[in-house]
Amino acid sequence: MLGSRQVARFLTMPNKHTDAEAALKKLGHHLRLGWAKKHPVSDKSLESVKNTVREQWEKEQVTERPSKSAPAPAKDKSRKPEGPDMER
Amino acid sequence: MEQLIKLVKTYRLSSGLAERLRLAEAIFRLIEPDLRIFVFSAIRPQAADDVLQEVLISITASLKTFEGSSNEEFWKWCYKIARRRIYDHIRKKASDRLQPMPHDELLDLLDAPAQAAPLTAADRHDLEYALNLLDRSKPECRNYLWQHYVIGFDYGEIAEEQNLNYDNVRMKIGRCLEVAKSLVS
Repeated sequence: MLGSRQVARFLTMPNKHTDAEAALKKLGHHLRLGWAKKHPVSDKSLESVKNTVREQWEKEQVTERPSKSAPAPAKDKSRKPEGPDMER
Repeated sequence: MEQLIKLVKTYRLSSGLAERLRLAEAIFRLIEPDLRIFVFSAIRPQAADDVLQEVLISITASLKTFEGSSNEEFWKWCYKIARRRIYDHIRKKASDRLQPMPHDELLDLLDAPAQAAPLTAADRHDLEYALNLLDRSKPECRNYLWQHYVIGFDYGEIAEEQNLNYDNVRMKIGRCLEVAKSLVS
């Protein structure tokens, strides 16, 4: 028969497969909370992310600009240059 | 939590700079803590901050090209980028590879949020049990259990990283868990 200490241990020790899995997952969750608390999001990291967004956006503007403002290159090279009247 | 993928989808469609900055910051705040723990558990702290920045920049720069439609796919994509950056770094500087996080350091991390909201007895019991499972495992098993349960990689991701097949990884992790449990009890 189990002694009282063994019974207490048996009752408190998670002994199912799922308990072990759940405990490890819980560890992951609490570690993330700990990381977030001990190492809050750094302004430096956030700033470099924002700079990347800006740089990418600027690149897109540069590549989009010619296609929006200038007409596509003329396919027919024999075409005469457009005069001011053509824009009206 | 579908909030993350909604932000990513909106970012892909947005064209204004102000909106993109707002969305990128919101995405960053959701993914940074998990990626931080992933990078810091693989590389020495002195180098980890720089690698984490590279990871976040790579993700931001490629956000527009991400084609998935679920949170899972997005996380998988983020971790793939993170793993690549970590390996790039370790290839250049092998001495920066971090050994498994020491027990004391893990306890320290667990105590940080507990100062604001103390852990319940049941939580503390579970966390001690989980730490024991990791401590008693052999390094290879500890790594599998850490990656799968603590970091949250699925079998497929671990299989891809280790060049193993899915079932092989699933069985290895199952066996590692059984062995750890038997050693703890």
